[in-house]
Amino acid sequence: MKGEVKEGRKTLEDELRKLVGTIFVSEAKVFGMACGCVGFAADLRGLRSDDVEVFMEKINGILAEISESVGVEPEFIYARKLPGSDEVVVLTTRELCDRCKKEFAGSKAPPRPDILVMKKKG
Amino acid sequence: MARLIIPHPGHFPALKELIEVKEAEGLNEVDEVFMGGSPDVMGSGRGVLHAPLLDEIRAQTEYAHQHGIKMNITMNSTCPAGHHLSFEGYKMFSWYFGALNKAGVDAVTVSEPYLVELLREYPMKTVVSCLAYIDAPQRAQFFEELGADVITVDTNINRHFDLLRGIVRAVTCDVRVIVNEGCLYKCPFRFSHYNLASHLSSLYQPRTPLFAPDFYFDKCIAIRLRDPTQIIKSGWIRPEDLKAYEAIGIKDFKLSGRTKTVNWIIDCMRVYSKRSFTGNVLDILDCPQMLRYLFCIENEKLEGSIDQWQVCKKICHACGYCDTLTKEALTYIK
Repeated sequence: MKGEVKEGRKTLEDELRKLVGTIFVSEAKVFGMACGCVGFAADLRGLRSDDVEVFMEKINGILAEISESVGVEPEFIYARKLPGSDEVVVLTTRELCDRCKKEFAGSKAPPRPDILVMKKKG
Repeated sequence: MARLIIPHPGHFPALKELIEVKEAEGLNEVDEVFMGGSPDVMGSGRGVLHAPLLDEIRAQTEYAHQHGIKMNITMNSTCPAGHHLSFEGYKMFSWYFGALNKAGVDAVTVSEPYLVELLREYPMKTVVSCLAYIDAPQRAQFFEELGADVITVDTNINRHFDLLRGIVRAVTCDVRVIVNEGCLYKCPFRFSHYNLASHLSSLYQPRTPLFAPDFYFDKCIAIRLRDPTQIIKSGWIRPEDLKAYEAIGIKDFKLSGRTKTVNWIIDCMRVYSKRSFTGNVLDILDCPQMLRYLFCIENEKLEGSIDQWQVCKKICHACGYCDTLTKEALTYIK
C-alpha cells in the first residue's frame, strides 16, 4: 500500500503537469472516516476549477486508476476549491457509506459550494 | 403562523433544490433563506464557502421571490476590525447595502451595532444576529432602538424562558430563535471563536499562518467527549418543542447550518417543518456534527424535558436533571 500511495502521488502530479502545467501535489493519502466512507485524497496547488472542467474526463481516469490501486472504489470523485475562489486544493475519490450516499452525494446540486463534483456513480 | 428561516449554502443549484422540496412537500412554514454576502465587504460568523457577486444575489433573490421566499444576506462578522468606522468603510458599507437593496434583498443580518443603525437608511429588514449576544430584555431594547426589525437571541438563553418571555414583552420587533445550534451552553470560547471566524472569512487575516486554526473547535469537541452531558445542556430545541416557544410569542425559527451539505439542510428543513423527528438528535444539530458518529441521543427519550427546561434555574451543579437525562437518553455508538 505504501508504494501505491507514493506512486499515486507522483503519477497524479506528472499527469496533471502534462495537462495544465506546473502543479504541485504536496500530499496523497488514503483515509477512513467515522461514518464508514473510505477514500483517496491528494492535496495540491496550481490547479484551477476551469482546468478540472476542461480535462475532467482525463483527470477522472487518472484518479480512478490510482484509487483502485490503493483499494478504494472511486464511486464519487470531487474537487474541493478554496471557498470563494477557483483554486482547487484537494482532489478526492471516495467509496461512500450509506449515509453519505444520500447526504453528501445524493443532491442534484453540489453538496456544498466549494465542492466540484467530477463523477457520481449511478 | 410560524416562520422557518433556512440556511442556504450559497450556490444557485442549492437554492433551487431547497425550494423544489419545500414546494413538493408543502412545507408552508418555510419563509426565508439566508446566505453569506461577499467576503470582500465583510466576513461572517461562519465559514463562507461561496462568494456571491451582486448579479448572482439579484438572480437568486428574484428566483426566491418567484417562489414566495424571502432572501436574507448574512453579514454577521463580530469584528470588522474598525474598518466600518473609517470613512472608506462607511462608504463601502453604504454602497453595498444600497446594492443589496437594489438587488431586491429582503433582509440583512448583522451583529455590529453601527451597521444596525446604518441599515435604518434602507427598506430592507434589519435582522440582528445571535452574535450580538442579546440575552436580556435591556439589551434587546438597546438594539431595537438602534433599528432592529428582528432580534435573534443568543442561543445561550434558548432555555431561559423567563428571559425569552421578558424580551418578547420588552420589544415590538420580532424575536427569532435558532433551533439546531449545538454550541456549548455558556461556552468559554464563544466570543473568541466567532471573532476568529470573522477574521478568517474576511480580508482582515492574521499576519502569519495560524498553528492551530481549529483551536476552539478542537477544545469544544474534547470537552463534550469527556462530558457528554454538555451536549444535552446546549440550547438546541427539539422540533416537537417549538410550540412551547410559540406559546410565549416567538414565531420565527431559524435553522443553523449554511456550511453543511444541501441534503442535510433539506432533512432538517423537513424535520422542523413537520415538528417531528425519530432518531439521533445529533443528526439534526449543526454543531458538533462529528459527534453523531460516536453518540446517539434518541429524540423520543427527551419527550417532556422541555417542561423542566422551561422552569430551569440553570444552577447545574445543584440540579442534576441533565446528568440524569444524559444517562437515560445517550448511548455510545459501537
